[in-house]
Amino acid sequence: MASAKTTELVLPSLPEGWSAEKDFKVLDKISSTIQRTIEPVGPHFLAHARRARHKRTFSEDDR
Amino acid sequence: MAEEGASKAGIVPSDRTAIGIMFSNSNSSIAYTVDDKAEVIANEDGDRQIPTILSYMDGDEYYGQQAKNFLVRNPKNTVAYFREFLGKDFKSIDPTHNHASAHPEEANGTVSFTITDKEGEDAAPSTLSVQEIATRYLRRLVTSASEYIGKKVTSAVITVPTNFNEKQKAALIAAAAGAELEVLQLVPEPVAALLAYDARPEVEVSDRMVVVADLGGTRSDVAVISTRSGMYTVLATTHDYEFTGTALDKVLMDHFAKEFMKRNAGIDPRQNPKSLAKLKLEAESTKKALSIGANASFSVESLAEGIDFASTLNRLRYETIARPVFAGINRLVESVVKKAGLDILDIDEVILSGGTAHTPRIAANMQSIFPRTTAILAPSTTPTAINPSELQARGAALQASLIQEYEAEDIDQSTHAAVTTVPHIANAIGVVLVSESAETFIPIVPGETAVPARRMVHVKTPKDGGDVLVKIVEANTHIKVTKPEPKAKTNGKASKSATVEDADETEDEDDSDLSDDEEEEDEEKRERMWKIGTTLAEAALRGVKKGSTVEVTINVNADLSMTMTTREVGAKGGVRVNVPAP
Ligand SMILES: Nc1ncnc2c1ncn2[C@@H]1O[C@H](COP(=O)(O)OP(=O)(O)OP(=O)(O)O)[C@@H](O)[C@H]1O
Ligand SMILES: [Mg+2]
Repeated sequence: MASAKTTELVLPSLPEGWSAEKDFKVLDKISSTIQRTIEPVGPHFLAHARRARHKRTFSEDDR
Repeated sequence: MAEEGASKAGIVPSDRTAIGIMFSNSNSSIAYTVDDKAEVIANEDGDRQIPTILSYMDGDEYYGQQAKNFLVRNPKNTVAYFREFLGKDFKSIDPTHNHASAHPEEANGTVSFTITDKEGEDAAPSTLSVQEIATRYLRRLVTSASEYIGKKVTSAVITVPTNFNEKQKAALIAAAAGAELEVLQLVPEPVAALLAYDARPEVEVSDRMVVVADLGGTRSDVAVISTRSGMYTVLATTHDYEFTGTALDKVLMDHFAKEFMKRNAGIDPRQNPKSLAKLKLEAESTKKALSIGANASFSVESLAEGIDFASTLNRLRYETIARPVFAGINRLVESVVKKAGLDILDIDEVILSGGTAHTPRIAANMQSIFPRTTAILAPSTTPTAINPSELQARGAALQASLIQEYEAEDIDQSTHAAVTTVPHIANAIGVVLVSESAETFIPIVPGETAVPARRMVHVKTPKDGGDVLVKIVEANTHIKVTKPEPKAKTNGKASKSATVEDADETEDEDDSDLSDDEEEEDEEKRERMWKIGTTLAEAALRGVKKGSTVEVTINVNADLSMTMTTREVGAKGGVRVNVPAP
């Protein structure tokens, strides 16, 4: 599968006539999710549980 | 769910000495973590795979390999293959594997065994519940671990099959409590195996789709696990009791029994319990030897009617006679991938776990089922593979060291469904790149990722820089099948040597660096392709410098709102977009 490191692939140039207030547009929302159970195992889960318990975001957690 | 983290004994964290235990039907293992490195402990007999067997002789208790050896001389007072019965009704158990040792029976509403565990010819036999047997066995493991560590082991993380129900878990926890062992947590076997691999210091956290095939003695369990930033979600499991290590033993027992009969006027060593027990023990060691060598010997003194027997078998022949078992294992693996709604091409890694995973043929079969890009982690395919017999105990020990300083209550809270059951995004979220006007999707957050999630990528910009578009879309994959050009005289499954044509008309771009050899020329070509779906957001980055790189970060929040930030690496500013929750 292609990865972000592939050299020939680049961001497209901004199409002519593209414009938006503050230079961005929100077009849609995340469409579909499934409720599943993550395994309460491993160091990364512990970090997740800690964030969940203290209602912290990733960046708050980084600090 | 509550039982998973239950630690009824409530030991103060500072008083704990915690180990990892794999407690299984055929074997058990104990492991301990020192300086973040898990080690499987050898017991006083020097064994790291300790047969899950308890045996009594003249009032003395034996366990492990010594107890296993008593299967020949003292089968009635030897209890084997009992873990499976914990927490089960007598009516629902399968006693197949207990024919040649103490038989399970129903007593006081529970599965029990009647054995003579006291000294003396006329000592009264005891009827012991399976829970009591498990307690006695676990006590031996704990004693062994305590002696090795030099401190009394108080607590453990124990691995259990993914289909262990609440009653079985409760029975195991109670059995451990009987051995004065606090269960910190019960961890699913395939997750422990995965953790053992992910804990290697050189491993970078990555998003992968993993198959864990746990091939043991009496059962084969296969799981598909999505691994996302080091968090694990089990997508599908399958359980089988037919295509197993004991089935392979049976193939060899039949083979050598027939050979013995040919040489010895039709005397069948399978007809006599003692001969059968000898046949089985030796068949298993021949099988293990065939995992290493191209040839193995089989030799038993006085196999039947006082006649010694010696023979050899080469691996090729073994693989031929055992083919139905190997084919069954292949089907199990393929079926669970399907059950997860995935294709073989979606799998990044196959972890072979359990004793039977030492078998080179099984690993080779995985190589031919999965694409070349799939890592097959087994001793015969990956030199750095971890011993498949040790994976679960190691994973359990690592988990034990991670949680041993938490109060039992905190462990309970963290393992509670309120924390563990969360939405997973179904589609991948990523950015659209172009090459010569064709659009390509680059995933940033893959599908089957639990939220909240955060991922970042670096992408290139057009040669001359300028204004660029960062377009964030959803995408999913499909399998593109290209039928081979019909060729005269070639009938689809032509032999490899007959294929000389090399006119691959469509084979141009996507040959990465794995130059295809001729092998698959006549087969249809299957590729995993992205299909771009809805666009979530677009942002412009203006005046990007020549040759610069752009960073795109996506945060999917717990409420499924999304934040995308993008900026030119090394430059000021950038754009931040908030996509509201659905
Ligand atoms: N080197 C080897 N080569 C082939 N098979 C092996 C090897 N080592 C162990 N085995 C087989 O692996 C099986 C035991 O596997 P494992 O120790 O994972 O068992 P387990 O999880 O206790 O089994 P169960 O499925 O009964 O619960 C036995 O059938 C044993 O003969
Ligand atoms: Mg097992």
